[in-house]
Amino acid sequence: MNVHEMNRRVRAARDEVERRGETFYPGPSRIHLAAFPPKERWDSWVELDSASWPERRERRYTLVPTTCFNCESACGLLAYVDADTKRVRKFEGNPEHPGSRGRNCAKGPATLNQITDPDRILFPLKRVGARGEGRWSQVGWDEALDDIAGRIRRALQEGRHNEIMYHVGRPGEDGFTERILAAWGVDGHNSHTNVCSSSGRAGYQYWMGLDRPSPDFANADVILLISAHLETGHYFNPHAQRILEARQRGAKLIVFDTRLSNTATHADHWLPSIPGSEPAVLLAIANHLIRNGAHNRDFIRRWWNWEEYLAVVHPDVERTFEQFDAILQSLYAEYTFAFAARESGVDEVTIAAAAAAVASAGTRLATHTWRSAAAGNEGGWQVARTLFLLNALLGAVATPGGTHPNAWNKFVPRPIHTPPHPKRWNELTWPQEFPLAMNELSFLLPHFLRERRGKLDVYFTRVYNPVWTNPDGFSWIEMLTDPQQVALHVALTPTWNETAYFADYVLPMGHSSERHDLHSYETHDAQWIGFRQPVLRAARERDGVPVTDTREVNPGQVWEENEFWIDLTWRIDPDGAMGVRRYVESRRSPGTKLGIDEYYAWAFEHSVPGLPERAAREGLSPLEYMRRYGAFEIRRGVGAVYEEEVPRDDLQDVADGSYGRVYTRAPAVASDNIVPQASPEPDAEGRRPIGVRVDGRVRRGFPTPSGRLEFWSGTLAAWGWSECAIPTYLRSHVHPDHLDADQSVLISTFRLPVHIHTRSGNAKWLDEIAHTNPLWIHPTQASALGVATGDLVRVETEIGHFVLKAWVTEGIRPGVVACSHHMGRWKIHDHGQRQLMNTVRLDHSGSAWGIARLAGPGPFASTDMDTKRIWWTDAGVHQNLTFPVHPDPVSGQHCWHQAVRVRRGAPGDRYGDVFVDTTKSRAVYAQWMAKTRSAREHSPDATRRPFWLLRPLKPGKTYFRLPEAPTHGGTPTA
Amino acid sequence: MTAAAPAVASALPTRWAKIIDHTRCIGCHACSTACKSENEVPLSVNRTYVKYVDIGTFPHTRRAFQVTRCNQCDDAPCVPACPTAAMFVRPDGIVDFDKSRCIGCKACIAACPYDAIFINPNDHSAEKCNFCAHRLDTGLEPACVVVCPTQAILVGDLNDGTSEVSRIVHRDAVTVRRPEKETRPKLFYKGAHQATLDPIAARRPAGGLFMWSEQRSGARAVVSGHPFTPANSSAAALLAYDVPHSMPWDWRVSLYTWTKGIAVGAYLVPLLLVLANLMPPDHALWVWVAPLLGGAFLGLTGLLLVWDLEHPARFLYIFTKAQHRSWLVRGAYIITAYAAVLAGHVAGSVFDMAAVHRALMGPGLVAGLLAAVYTAYLFAQARARDLWQSPLLPPHLAVQAILAGAAALTPVAVVIAPGAVDTLLWVVAASGGAHLLFVGGETTTGHPTAHARVAVAEMTRGRYRWFFRTGVTLVAIGVGAPWFGAGAAVVALIGLLAHEHAYVQAGQSVPLA
Repeated sequence: MNVHEMNRRVRAARDEVERRGETFYPGPSRIHLAAFPPKERWDSWVELDSASWPERRERRYTLVPTTCFNCESACGLLAYVDADTKRVRKFEGNPEHPGSRGRNCAKGPATLNQITDPDRILFPLKRVGARGEGRWSQVGWDEALDDIAGRIRRALQEGRHNEIMYHVGRPGEDGFTERILAAWGVDGHNSHTNVCSSSGRAGYQYWMGLDRPSPDFANADVILLISAHLETGHYFNPHAQRILEARQRGAKLIVFDTRLSNTATHADHWLPSIPGSEPAVLLAIANHLIRNGAHNRDFIRRWWNWEEYLAVVHPDVERTFEQFDAILQSLYAEYTFAFAARESGVDEVTIAAAAAAVASAGTRLATHTWRSAAAGNEGGWQVARTLFLLNALLGAVATPGGTHPNAWNKFVPRPIHTPPHPKRWNELTWPQEFPLAMNELSFLLPHFLRERRGKLDVYFTRVYNPVWTNPDGFSWIEMLTDPQQVALHVALTPTWNETAYFADYVLPMGHSSERHDLHSYETHDAQWIGFRQPVLRAARERDGVPVTDTREVNPGQVWEENEFWIDLTWRIDPDGAMGVRRYVESRRSPGTKLGIDEYYAWAFEHSVPGLPERAAREGLSPLEYMRRYGAFEIRRGVGAVYEEEVPRDDLQDVADGSYGRVYTRAPAVASDNIVPQASPEPDAEGRRPIGVRVDGRVRRGFPTPSGRLEFWSGTLAAWGWSECAIPTYLRSHVHPDHLDADQSVLISTFRLPVHIHTRSGNAKWLDEIAHTNPLWIHPTQASALGVATGDLVRVETEIGHFVLKAWVTEGIRPGVVACSHHMGRWKIHDHGQRQLMNTVRLDHSGSAWGIARLAGPGPFASTDMDTKRIWWTDAGVHQNLTFPVHPDPVSGQHCWHQAVRVRRGAPGDRYGDVFVDTTKSRAVYAQWMAKTRSAREHSPDATRRPFWLLRPLKPGKTYFRLPEAPTHGGTPTA
Repeated sequence: MTAAAPAVASALPTRWAKIIDHTRCIGCHACSTACKSENEVPLSVNRTYVKYVDIGTFPHTRRAFQVTRCNQCDDAPCVPACPTAAMFVRPDGIVDFDKSRCIGCKACIAACPYDAIFINPNDHSAEKCNFCAHRLDTGLEPACVVVCPTQAILVGDLNDGTSEVSRIVHRDAVTVRRPEKETRPKLFYKGAHQATLDPIAARRPAGGLFMWSEQRSGARAVVSGHPFTPANSSAAALLAYDVPHSMPWDWRVSLYTWTKGIAVGAYLVPLLLVLANLMPPDHALWVWVAPLLGGAFLGLTGLLLVWDLEHPARFLYIFTKAQHRSWLVRGAYIITAYAAVLAGHVAGSVFDMAAVHRALMGPGLVAGLLAAVYTAYLFAQARARDLWQSPLLPPHLAVQAILAGAAALTPVAVVIAPGAVDTLLWVVAASGGAHLLFVGGETTTGHPTAHARVAVAEMTRGRYRWFFRTGVTLVAIGVGAPWFGAGAAVVALIGLLAHEHAYVQAGQSVPLA
């Protein structure tokens, strides 16, 4: 074949289109067919109707970009708004989106299902009767807002700030709501992150002050994934694109996954390791690199905090790099391939082959871990820490083909108003027992409230479903049904969920094409922003009809959060006397409410470098540009920021701290990019850290206390965890040594390519593909139990059990069982997602809770003809209810893996049965709390938490001081 | 003007083809939902989906994918099978369809060796992947090509040597599904595994489950994967995910083969008896019963055929939009001709004109035989169904017609012409014996293809075993009719119906995708 000729041909097609002044979007086929309509015709695009084919019936569309609201990846979508019906006909990808590049996973097109879902919530609802009774009355937005705002106002006026809490699932936006909470002056942010990525984040944070990997997969020679990242997980669409590009170039793929995933299938080296053993294998690879001199000595010498490590840990040895290198040679000597093989169950030859591949990567090693093993195991944060050790050893840090820190590949524009840090500390989310927690101890909330550490006056759950998603869901029901603990529960959600059943208000919020949000994610080595917008609003504005409230275009009375929060904030402080209102006030016309257009226009005009110029070239305002194209790439190829020399202007009255940290008195210039980063503390004279001296030059370095990559974390050492201050192997709570002979490890977190937690059950095309979650079990274990595929098995956890069907497969390690996430959704009343929820009976007697499945999904008549074609009758089994809380004592992450006993279904066991005793939940909670090392005993400086660490909605520094006496107490209620 | 890009002139006419690159596919199902969206495909049916097969034993295990859809065959079996040219080939090689012509006979589905065609439950017409012809024609790539995260699906012109598709087809190790069907697919797979390409290379999981979905159940459901033990590879392979499939022709078609057998046999048996001088030409069975019983069952046959259509109101399209290679069309002509013979015969009886009876004997013999055996050609046109590709099916159907006719005439003869009963019972016995001989041959000799063997196994010891065994037993009783009496003939007739059902359904029960 002739690449030249092929390119010429595509070029000719492109030239022809471009001669007309239009954009040609080449597709993968590299022929004259375009992948997308030229953007110049997005206002009025004519397409042939597929349903009338072969009759050529033309349909006219307005094409409006928005962003997917399923996983966090925020891939671009292009809505085809029918010019006649003014309805969205379909969603394709947005070719102008730098991360997803016009491509999507199965959830992108299925967004259409979500907006047309016949079971969605269309009106604000208020509880009638007792909480959880399932009776609702429609209520006006004004009534709901006034009620909620009035309560918040009273709480703020009475100094009960800590009784206001906002609990968010994946935010899908960068900081808008956090700033609303800051405007109220509450430390009331609560995230889902500690049931998700905290341990992954913590491992990265201790290395570099930045908490997320941004691997440059496309340019890598060797790619190492811990998880099924090719087909699941956030960013899998943008990442899989780039991983496959590298693979086609010949890059090698190493995958750690206990279970046969699609990703494992593609691996050149698949390591189906025993859960929790990942760090042992990673350290064996590290040991291999060090022993064979494959490590990048110069990089280590320049960028690791080895001097500090020697000074503190080996004060007797000479502080030279040679000494450190010698120590490094012996540090990991015990991590032989044989040791790793014993721990992981993976044979030595496979481990050695993976190690050899890593050793061949040089600075083109792209590694990635996120939830997976990090989220599964106690000490899981060492998975990320030992994984990044490989990058740090090879110098594959922010290099082409290496792993970059997220913050340098992310851009969060400074908004119009920036309220100050809260002037208080909320111990319900940041308790003293977890001074190093990466995020809020969200999943312990029911236990904390039960212990009377506090109470909640207004509790928002926002597109978040803790009753279903969090461990120990029955304890959440106990909490939510007790008005003494939660006085008012407001669920903000587009669709019914198990938590919303126990709300006082259910307020319908828009799906991806019905709301505004701004976001930026580290999908590759670039910085971009993506804009989610209500597409019907944008389409109507293109027609010259102004829209000032998104409810005008959304179905029913569905709103969007941005406008909701502005309105609610306004009502909390209607006259501005509390100093809250000004953060939602217009600048153009002071005294009036900030509009969405002004909010985003300000950020796009003032805080996004290059956007105003780019927009002007098309004769558009920056906001018009973003409404038209949905995304903007600010920079490409950001590279190794740490190597950049600090400009002379930033070096005033410089002081060198220990080990080369450089401080300056030059004032910090407010950056346009307010991406969260760690904040190393100033020196004793108040100079701010500006960089680090490397071979005589002052370079930017990393936002860590030392300014370098922290191989040894002084923070961990100082706060009571000196034994794991360097990357090391902590034996998991499900390590074989900790299991009884009849116990197996249950992997409960693995995801399916087509679903995303409880957010996608309203998409019929996805439900049709995947709608159940049998227990993966190896044939040897299955035959020992006498079960075959489809037979009932009972899985017993520490606090209860669930009953499901067996899936006997060679795709899982013997002794490990796995049950997918997403499934087992349920409804107790009429309200719910009929296409992917079981109807259940909730049984409750004292601390004994149970679920009995009454019926599965089935066909029903609705506004959508398709609901009569629902053919599946199963929606899986809810397993998370039976998991007790397992807070990691360092990261605070819930450690998901479970030690379970798998038995053949007992007589009387019925499919879908769940049973839990919450007394046992509390006992397990107490066991894990005993592992913590509290700030009270371990803080080196009488603060609650190292100030430099990342923390959402970070309070002012004063409020980091530990109170004189414990502020919580009391005895648990009976 | 809708074109996103101009067509680029090429010397040869365009011949669209696609590559599915399984070295890139991550099994994410984006193509499945993008297609549902683009083509408004209802739940329960699919134009394209991704099949999963798990191969090997832990830890040497892999998952093979197959993006499964219409193969855009150069020699597409669905096209000649379609009676109304609703399935047609465009000049650029795309096998397209026109729902406004579709009568819903499902012959295309029976013919497609890839199970790529389905009836849309909303508009009751056959549809399938057509390469998004409506997009190609406006200068856009198909929806699945555009959405794919890893660019595993490519479209291109086979006649354009510079296209990536052409390069891959001619330079890389590509495969097609079921090449033995000789359909010349223009959908090529790169890096596909034998365990996915061959629909019965992987084991069907027990328990009604796939790895994250249910297996659909029901009389017409066909669950993918080998129902017994795959015999074409020693590698362990388990079908891990597939979508529901269903067989096109249900009990109405089984019943049709039976009523048509009676319709033909009721006339042919007396005709042959008259010719053989075993029955006088003025015998009531010949003069009246043959055409009236035959006609009644022929009418019933016609009703069943129309009832089986998804668009019964369009049944006349078989004549008005006839596509003459279709055996449905040819069969309609044959049945019409045969009906004309029967009508003429009745006219001859009414006007007491034995000469008409005599004159119609020749045409009646031919039309009757054709009416009996054309179904063998109709079934053979269902190229997907290996069981039905039997060279012995035409004589077997003829024998069945004789058996059905003689058995159906017997109770009538008992009432109006007891003297003929013995003769009829001997015909029942002889044709029943011949039928059992055919069935014995069918089920005890080796079949040339694995699919035919699976179908026979489903018939004799699988899901249709009770129909089959009932059929054999009851017809065997019928063989003893001369000794047992007229009741045995009726028993044989019921047995024949059971057999027809087992045969028609078993033929469609083999997973194709």
